[in-house]
Amino acid sequence: MLLAGLLASVEHGLNRVLRMDSTALPRLAALEGKIIAIDCRQPALQLYILPGDEGLMLASHWETKADCTLRAPASSLLQLALSQDKPAVLHSPQVELEGDSAVLLDLVGVLQDLELDWEYELSRWLGPVATQLIGGHLRSRARWTRQGLASLNQNLGEYLAEEARTLVGQREAEARFAELDALKIDVERLEARIARLARSLESSDNA
Amino acid sequence: MNDQRKGEHAEPTTHFGYKDVPESQKAEKVAEVFHSVAAKYDLMNDVLSGGMHRLWKRFTIELSGVRPGNRVLDIAGGTGDLARKFSQLVGPTGQVVLADINASMLKVGRDRLLDKGVAGNIEFVQADAEKLPFPDNHFDCVTIAFGLRNVTHKDDAIRSMLRVLKPGGRLLVLEFSKPTNKLMSKVYDAYSFAFMPLAGKLITNDADSYRYLAESIRMHPDQETLKAMMVDAGFDRVTYHNMTSGIVALHRGIKP
Repeated sequence: MLLAGLLASVEHGLNRVLRMDSTALPRLAALEGKIIAIDCRQPALQLYILPGDEGLMLASHWETKADCTLRAPASSLLQLALSQDKPAVLHSPQVELEGDSAVLLDLVGVLQDLELDWEYELSRWLGPVATQLIGGHLRSRARWTRQGLASLNQNLGEYLAEEARTLVGQREAEARFAELDALKIDVERLEARIARLARSLESSDNA
Repeated sequence: MNDQRKGEHAEPTTHFGYKDVPESQKAEKVAEVFHSVAAKYDLMNDVLSGGMHRLWKRFTIELSGVRPGNRVLDIAGGTGDLARKFSQLVGPTGQVVLADINASMLKVGRDRLLDKGVAGNIEFVQADAEKLPFPDNHFDCVTIAFGLRNVTHKDDAIRSMLRVLKPGGRLLVLEFSKPTNKLMSKVYDAYSFAFMPLAGKLITNDADSYRYLAESIRMHPDQETLKAMMVDAGFDRVTYHNMTSGIVALHRGIKP
């Protein structure tokens, strides 16, 4: 019952999030009737996912056969959830896929493409004016934070390279690397000349 | 099986909570209870069970094995919690029938489901569980959640459910049962007879209906007795799952 309660809470929260994306539910409706089983090997846990036009239904037990079963340890499942390159994770030796993998990939695609319209959700609770004010304020704070971080990054780099002389500056390093590259090419050219001279000396001795 | 006969020609009696009433009056008295509580049925379920009834029903759905295209009968479907989920699971090619003997409950359930946009593959039928008005071998799954204890002739109802099920079809009976833990049993008794009528009085202004609820739960067959009744009726592979220390049990049987 504890697991059922936990799953019910997760399902409720997840479906609220899915409703914030305008395309997620119609895309999930296309998967209606499909059953995806996630069989976690370490720790042993089974989860059934049933997509539908109202979101996802999660169950710890399901009587009918799943269309697609994914067996993997928890670490691989976490990696699958976070990784951008999901096919690579699915092809790893610890992951076992049985049944129609297209169902799983479609579901993963829907979850990966989520673009949450949090302003709409906020406006339902606070109204359009307050949401606009909060949204504008948050956007300006986010912009200020981004600019602040970029400025901090630049100033710190300049201080370490130019004033403290703890690190070599990027331009200085690039100039040194260019000089080293030129030196390397000169040395190689000199080596080639010496080799040619050595060859010509050997031929004159033989004559 | 709880019916008694008093004398050669007297009308058989059955229990209504802790009272004995003539069989012909039980359905009417149960109907009065549900007419009284129908409007606030969902609220009372949440208050009295602390929301647990949602988890018990969730487990019933998980065990139902319902899939797209199936025909499902939800008897005593009340306000349509199970029917709504079944409607989603069977999809447009399936069919769900929400049946209840009580017109008030059926009306609340129908309005609630239509308000939520559940339509197309669902029908509402006022029907007596003992005499189901459906053809033989018609449904893939039949459920009755918190309804069987109110039925006058439980054996007849179980046989009727067997008749309408297809061979291989499943009957799921979700019902209050007997706690398996003695301490829990004592706490549950105190809760049922003190808090439930009080909550009924405060929320629906009807303590008697909730006193009946507590009494009818005690008069309902325990897990093993109900299992034996299902086996006697002709069900195969009958099993039950206790939930919340046996306060509620889910019985499942397959039609051979």
